[in-house]
Amino acid sequence: MSFERDLLAILPRLRRFAASLSHDRADGDDLCQAALEKGLRARDQWQPGTRLDSWMYRIMRNLWIDEGRARQRAARTFAPEEAGADVGYAGDKAVEQAMTLSDVDRAMQALPPEQREAIALVLVEGLSYKEAAAILNIPMGTLTSRLVRGRGALIELLGEAA
Amino acid sequence: MTDIDEAMLIAWVDGELDEVTRRRVDRAVADDPALAARLEQHRRLRARLAGHFAPIAQEDVPASMQAMLASPTVVPIARPSRRWSWVTGGAIAASLLLGLGIGHMSGGQDGPIAVRNGAMLARGSLATALDSQLASAGEGGSIHIGLSFRRKGGGWCRSFDGAAMAGVACRTDAGWQLLQAVSGKGQASEYRQAASADPRLLATIDGLIDGAPVDAQGERAAQAAGWR
Repeated sequence: MSFERDLLAILPRLRRFAASLSHDRADGDDLCQAALEKGLRARDQWQPGTRLDSWMYRIMRNLWIDEGRARQRAARTFAPEEAGADVGYAGDKAVEQAMTLSDVDRAMQALPPEQREAIALVLVEGLSYKEAAAILNIPMGTLTSRLVRGRGALIELLGEAA
Repeated sequence: MTDIDEAMLIAWVDGELDEVTRRRVDRAVADDPALAARLEQHRRLRARLAGHFAPIAQEDVPASMQAMLASPTVVPIARPSRRWSWVTGGAIAASLLLGLGIGHMSGGQDGPIAVRNGAMLARGSLATALDSQLASAGEGGSIHIGLSFRRKGGGWCRSFDGAAMAGVACRTDAGWQLLQAVSGKGQASEYRQAASADPRLLATIDGLIDGAPVDAQGERAAQAAGWR
């Protein structure tokens, strides 16, 4: 009975996670909305007594990965034909991105997806290694090595020199 | 010289070290300025990232997302006493069905909308539902109230969803003015998608709303104050 109410309670955190994965706030809200729809449709698969937030984080993360793959496929499909037009477009996009995104957003964008999701769950969402590894379905050692590499890159990108 | 590696430093920052290992790192850091500087970098990075995204979780969630979760099955708030609920509930349901299901848009006495001074006003059973029905009561009539919220510039608005029509109405001195109405999704069944999830209505709500929709308590208080 309280499924929607529980979802509503964790929605601000889900929205934050979506924003930390996505290119910008609008993309983040699109992702969050899609995850909510999926969660509501799949509610029978959630086991009461288990963590709803972990379940929703996992749904959102899987959607985000699928979407990234689809985008890569599309890029490969269209690239040869429109290579010429693409160059100018990509340039505009890069300029726009540089102007509207903050340093932190840009640095997160630069990380490979598997590092970005690990960083987002642990540093932004504040989950334990155990919880994050379970959501990503990877061993703890894999998680920690992604955290080490991702953080090294972020320190570099953000110029967090001591 | 030390055997403290990067993974241990970040685990220190993430609070993932056991007590013994944490002390070992503390001692090594105290003896090694370079290691201390690296630990400080990691501590600052975590604080910066967390601080950058933290405000998002403090914001009001967009109305479109709240509306997705505002199902009438949600809230097990106190209902009217059993003795009366079947009478009033049944009577309201029947009158709403008459009003919205088979009433005429403008001609008939029972139509849900009147046009006065160029504005569409809710009347009859729709006006009654907007005045008195609580979304939080989860009443199973043919009208569901969706969200109740304050609009920018002041005043109350409510979204509703019925078999024939769904829309958004705002309270004015003349009554409930319909700002938008779209076709309903036909007879209510348990599994239908509410028409109030219609993107056009959600866009209207997003444009109107000041802050977040009120919760059950706020809804009752506003109703008690006559939506003034």
